[in-house]
Amino acid sequence: MASTHLISRRTCLRGLGASLGLPLLETMGWAETAKGATASKPPVRLGFMYMPHGVIMDQFWPSSPESFLKSPPPALESLRPILDQCLLMKGISGVPITPFGSAPHALELSTWLTASLPNAAKRSQIHIAISADQIFANYYGALTALPSLELATMPQTHKENQEGLNEGYYSHCSFRSPTQAMPAEINPRNVLNRLFGKTDTGGPAGTTNPLDRQMLDLVIGGAKDLRRTLPHGDQQKLDEYLDSVRSVERRIAAIETRQKEAALEKAGVAPSRSKSGDSPTIEVKIPEGDKRSEYMQVMCDLTILAFQTDTTRVSTYIGSTPNGVSYPELGFSDTHHGPTHHNNEAEKVRKVAAITKFNIDQFAYMVKKMATLREGDGTLLDNCLMMWGSGLEDGNKHTRENLPFIIAGKGGGSIETGRFLNNVKGNQGDLLTTLLGCAGVPLDRPIGIATKEISEIRKA
Amino acid sequence: MQKAFKQDVEKFVADYCVQCHADRPKAGLNLRVAVKKPGDPAFLRKWIECIANVEAHDMPPEDADQPSDEERQRFLDALSQVQYLSNRDPGPFVIRRLTKAEFGNTLRDFLGVDPSVAKDLPEEVPGEGYLNSLSPMQVEQYLGIANEAIAKLSAKDEARLFGDAKTEVREIARRLARAAYRRPPTEEEIGVLAGVFDLGTKNGLDRDAALKFMLKAVLVSPQFLFITPSKAAPEGEKIVPLDDHQLASRLSYFLWATMPDAELSKLADEGRLHDPAVLKAQVKRMLASPRSRALFDGFGAQWLGLDKIATKTFDPDKFPQMTPALREAMYEEARLFFESIVRENRSVVTFVNGDYTYLNATLAPIYGLEKTVKGAAMEKVALTDANRGGILTMPGVLATTSFPTRTSPVIRGVWVLEQVLGEHVPPAPPNVPALEKQDQKTIAGLTLRQRTELHRTEAVCANCHKILDPIGFGLENFDAIGRWRESDESGGKVDAAGELPGGQRFQSPRELKTIIAARKDDLSRNLTEKLLAYALCRQLDGYDLIVVDQLHKTIAGDGHKMQTLISEVVTSYPFLNRRVQD
Repeated sequence: MASTHLISRRTCLRGLGASLGLPLLETMGWAETAKGATASKPPVRLGFMYMPHGVIMDQFWPSSPESFLKSPPPALESLRPILDQCLLMKGISGVPITPFGSAPHALELSTWLTASLPNAAKRSQIHIAISADQIFANYYGALTALPSLELATMPQTHKENQEGLNEGYYSHCSFRSPTQAMPAEINPRNVLNRLFGKTDTGGPAGTTNPLDRQMLDLVIGGAKDLRRTLPHGDQQKLDEYLDSVRSVERRIAAIETRQKEAALEKAGVAPSRSKSGDSPTIEVKIPEGDKRSEYMQVMCDLTILAFQTDTTRVSTYIGSTPNGVSYPELGFSDTHHGPTHHNNEAEKVRKVAAITKFNIDQFAYMVKKMATLREGDGTLLDNCLMMWGSGLEDGNKHTRENLPFIIAGKGGGSIETGRFLNNVKGNQGDLLTTLLGCAGVPLDRPIGIATKEISEIRKA
Repeated sequence: MQKAFKQDVEKFVADYCVQCHADRPKAGLNLRVAVKKPGDPAFLRKWIECIANVEAHDMPPEDADQPSDEERQRFLDALSQVQYLSNRDPGPFVIRRLTKAEFGNTLRDFLGVDPSVAKDLPEEVPGEGYLNSLSPMQVEQYLGIANEAIAKLSAKDEARLFGDAKTEVREIARRLARAAYRRPPTEEEIGVLAGVFDLGTKNGLDRDAALKFMLKAVLVSPQFLFITPSKAAPEGEKIVPLDDHQLASRLSYFLWATMPDAELSKLADEGRLHDPAVLKAQVKRMLASPRSRALFDGFGAQWLGLDKIATKTFDPDKFPQMTPALREAMYEEARLFFESIVRENRSVVTFVNGDYTYLNATLAPIYGLEKTVKGAAMEKVALTDANRGGILTMPGVLATTSFPTRTSPVIRGVWVLEQVLGEHVPPAPPNVPALEKQDQKTIAGLTLRQRTELHRTEAVCANCHKILDPIGFGLENFDAIGRWRESDESGGKVDAAGELPGGQRFQSPRELKTIIAARKDDLSRNLTEKLLAYALCRQLDGYDLIVVDQLHKTIAGDGHKMQTLISEVVTSYPFLNRRVQD
């Protein structure tokens, strides 16, 4: 049903002042209509999860398409139960990074979802391209309380100057516009509290005051006077802020609607919004300790919860950034980058393989859980496209010829899983363009360096 | 100058460079475009690379036509002047969102609440790498923080903010907005806030609740969260001075990371802040205030790498001492040392050769001074061992430039060159054979230094490492958490002798420090560059480098004093002006 809403997000936002009184989710969401005449299909959700520095190639790539399902490579072991719902493609190349040859790590993450290079003349500022997740958010974001969700494990504060590039390139993958990097949230409690109005400790949740919505409206109105006095660059910054405020207004409206619906439902006046067969929303428990695996899993749970409740339809999770993260749980204190320059020395290869497997294990935790949650006629995973990957192929030599990607989920039946395509010829931009196509985003131009769709991954 | 550029640079480029660096530019360098706009700041970085490559005879490449030595020299001489062709340009000063730390401090000063009310906001980099970006999730948090801060208001602060029951609502709105927006509000802005009050009362809030509701609107307004100008720039102007209120905010957030206080606000209201003498007096006053510790927390800690000490990984078996308490003491040592140089207006050379430090009982054992320093509080300690003292040998710095399990002479060398002397070290090429790849038989019994020297015999590595390594080796007497040692992990005796390019020799950390301390101009120029970038919240570019040259002359002329350096940054052209259109 979303595809009939061919209006830009901005147009929609402008109209929000007037339309906010309407029950938002019912008019725009995917839940069954009150009449229940035709059961609409759940929407396709898109998720990205990142690990820096590449993989040990012979432990990541399956030995052949035939052996993929029966004897997967060691790195993919934890995905074994759902390999039939996964897709691997070898032959996707990254963006060539000349003229920033000495900045492989500053660019591995920032090119990942943009398939573009920073503007060389403005390298000291953020000047790249809107990222694939934000293109998706521009199209579908207005239909959900939050246009997109950005999560990360590490604070995005790495300071290292490579090739004079802005430090932000090091730790951001998501760009709302060519000049606006999206900060990611690293505190799971904040996400739980602010987005879902829930706590795990029994304390008071962030309360939502319906009057706040009208107050924010007045604040936005007042900012228009300020806006008129500002030069163009300032206006852009102000608009970024106002855009975010409007998204808060929308979330408040969505919560109000939900509360009303719940009240009606309780009184037996209206039918339940969720289909009777759907799984109940998952419980999220925030771990006490500081174990990396538990932390990453709660971030994965929050992604699942956001998708399940249709709070957002697109998420990014920067599992770690290229700035020396260590993995004490694995029994060694090396930071990630060190051993990736392993020169085939066995001990370092072992460590890189262990770190890679650890990261894929967390991704597997998320997608396996999604595969157990019923939604519509299938599972939540059936309606998702979850991509795990890295911005380098081989951290040892900084190569980017065969970037490692795993796709889990069937994208609402748009892609054919259970396969290893061992000779795909394409680039990162081609892949992102294809995925957005599968998710139903009509692009007016390909993403970054893309020249085509990778049609092999689609369901014939 | 234009003429010299035409004769010596354009011709050289045409004869020796454009074959490769033009329409299909190698290394992304199109010199045909660059020579047409000699003063364009966008090309400045490229020209600097050109100078380095041509000077080193790396360019033109061996298999190409070679210029005569005279041609080469004339090219270099003319090009070294290229920055002076740049137009005067203060750079943009786009409305800037308060950082997490600034936001917390501002809430403290405005409302009297604890700054930790902002603790859940995402961590961010202040200064040069500041992103000035935000997400919807963050706006959610602003709203939550506003609720929390208002709930925590004390009765006294409430009375201060809202007056008594007779105070007019518009008057309260005006006062709140003046303080929070850090400039006089417009009548429209007051009207919006009064509208929020009315919205509250219409929905059943009593006067007190409606005032708090109005305050909440102030706290989520862009005028509070961003530093905004108080009036529009004149039509058609490209470059304008900051208005006095904007300048007061810029200065206050630079030195204090919080809103201007009453004195600064008054000077701004009176329009006197642009007077250089007034500005300099304010800098002096502000640095004397305890609030200027923000300059270390925001700038100093980043510069010295101490912002990483709390979270950096150390092997818990090898270094069980690295407890949170020791890490905190290391941070405090660096902070107090930095502040002593700022507040006592010492020469920046003290950063390298200072003969005192600050210790407590937790940190003293790292210095072997556990018998001298016994208290929990940090105290000033005179250092008699000349191998100690200064940032090069400070435990916090030595620890953050080490690996989790051992020292890294290379990282330490790079750190000294880049952070202390302001040189640029190119990153290592990928796929260099690392130390651990060395044949185990060959290296049996060798110290880390001997192994690294073996690695340096590889041609690809030698060029850079002959500069980096000696500095790092000169510090090998300090282990990965900064303790003195005579032998390294291998058991072999540490040999801290070395020679720097240019032939200066040293036998110990003490002598290395003396050599570095003698490079006063490099030290203070580097610190000026770093501090200016921090103050402007952006990387330096084009015209900024000319500004640094000018500032540096004044600073050097005044004995490289730290307060002079800070005053020069505050009274510099890019700090006082902004470009309003491209």
